[in-house]
Amino acid sequence: MSALPAIAADNSRRRRVRNSAILWALIAAGFYVGFIVLTLVRAAR
Amino acid sequence: MAEAHAPDATHDDHDHKPHGWRRWVFATNHKDIGTMYLIFACTMFFIGGAMAMVIRLELFKPGMQFVDPQLFNSMTTMHALVMIFGAVMPAWTGLANWMIPMQVGAPDMALPRLNNFSFWILPFAFTLLLSSLFVPGGAPAGGWTMYPPLVLQNGASFPMLIFAVHMMGASSILGAINVVVTIMNMRAPGLTLLRMPLFVWTWLITAYLLIAVMPVLAGAVTMLLTDHFFGTTFFTAAGGGDPVMFQHIFWFFGHPEVYILILPAFGIVSEIIPTFSRKPLFGYEAMVYAVASIAFLSFIVWAHHMFTVGMPLAAQLFFMLSTMLIAVPTGVKVFNWTATMWKGSLSFEPPMLFALAFLFLFTIGGFSGLMLAIVPADYQYQDTYFVVAHFHYVLVPGAIFGIMAGVYYWLPKWVGKMYDQKLATWHFWLSTIFVNVLFFPQHFLGLAGMPRRIPDYAVQFTDWNMVSSIGGFGFGLAQLLFPYIIWKCVRSGAPVGAKAWEGAHGLEWELPSPAPYHSWTEPPSDAVIARGAEH
Repeated sequence: MSALPAIAADNSRRRRVRNSAILWALIAAGFYVGFIVLTLVRAAR
Repeated sequence: MAEAHAPDATHDDHDHKPHGWRRWVFATNHKDIGTMYLIFACTMFFIGGAMAMVIRLELFKPGMQFVDPQLFNSMTTMHALVMIFGAVMPAWTGLANWMIPMQVGAPDMALPRLNNFSFWILPFAFTLLLSSLFVPGGAPAGGWTMYPPLVLQNGASFPMLIFAVHMMGASSILGAINVVVTIMNMRAPGLTLLRMPLFVWTWLITAYLLIAVMPVLAGAVTMLLTDHFFGTTFFTAAGGGDPVMFQHIFWFFGHPEVYILILPAFGIVSEIIPTFSRKPLFGYEAMVYAVASIAFLSFIVWAHHMFTVGMPLAAQLFFMLSTMLIAVPTGVKVFNWTATMWKGSLSFEPPMLFALAFLFLFTIGGFSGLMLAIVPADYQYQDTYFVVAHFHYVLVPGAIFGIMAGVYYWLPKWVGKMYDQKLATWHFWLSTIFVNVLFFPQHFLGLAGMPRRIPDYAVQFTDWNMVSSIGGFGFGLAQLLFPYIIWKCVRSGAPVGAKAWEGAHGLEWELPSPAPYHSWTEPPSDAVIARGAEH
């Protein structure tokens, strides 16, 4: 029984790890797309 | 309750130690991956160094001797790409892999499979890039900055260059995400952010920079690719595009990239100087804020690389002053390192020697950077050897010496043996003398007007070019000592205890030497953290 809190903590950490990895990947993708859009917008002016 | 088991039992298959080639190809252990990164970086260092030898051989005297101009330009371009993306960045990632889990009290990196993928992208990227030397038209020759329209004139090597840069970028971004996620989620309980070692702090900030700017480079080269193959005109003036826009985007990536290459060295020097001064680091928090300030400022100085393309006076003033502002946090760091040594009980083992050389010689590179920040002066220095001297002072006795200091500092922890310190001291002195013989005369050549990226030059530049080339050959030969010292240490070094350096502090020194395959299977206790986190 004493292992249950450890499992819960481990699962919570796994969730945090996955969520923060996804967040930073989305930020990186945003920079990639953002700079291409920025160049397009500037060229369209 | 059959499924109720301890977390260790749910641990993925990376908690055993595989043997043979599987250990490396399917590696998920942070130390194995760190080792692969470091071996890869060392290999690239010697390949990029061989290209530098070709450059210095051709420039030994005026006239064309050994290579044609096209190959010479390929050598300068490839040397830069290989050294930046193949040697320095993977070396830092290797050190991060080895040290961050040990320094934050974690068993491994947060994302071990992603870690494997990040590494294994690199050999493919560099095989592709280096094989472009053998395609019709030769390797990329328009400079590592890939400015259009010149880069669009490359032959078959162009798409190889773009795809290789994309792969290097992907590797760096994935590695950076892993570092951020590890530091933010895997720290031992009680190890607060302001108790972390400076190496961890500088890597955290470097990782943020990587996530912000590597996609920008990827976006820029994607646009080059579509300009070349799909009829777009992002950077083609004839179609309404703007080639100068590429320079803005490239340097928005390129200037933070400079700090990506140097910030982890700040962290390593901040670990080494206290250890060999037997004193806590002077102004720990100020150091953290200084690194964060430098990282922030790195985003608003990019146009100082392109003053001569023509820009409004207000923009020139802004970029000149913002660049000069970087001297303030950098000065804080140099002052704090000096103050740490003040009245310390100093000793001069190889890591300390490299850290001290870093302190003096990086500062020279910083000062010449300040000179280049002054707009009217930059109009004179632009595209001369003065610029070459400046950035090589920052990157060789800066980044490369930082890496060597780090390897000499932590090698005993990695292998549990001490290396031949006398030979490492020889390596230090030969490197330090020859690096100055190599690069200091290039300041004179630049001030006298010698342009960079040329295979031939006017006769009045001969003498200092000969001196510089002799320095280059000496520096190149001296580096052969480095892998030999490491090989000798692994083979027959004298065993060391957990604390290889008696003045060292940090969680990594609380682990036995060599460090166990999984670093902290149990989080360190409060007492261990308190002892390790003394700043």
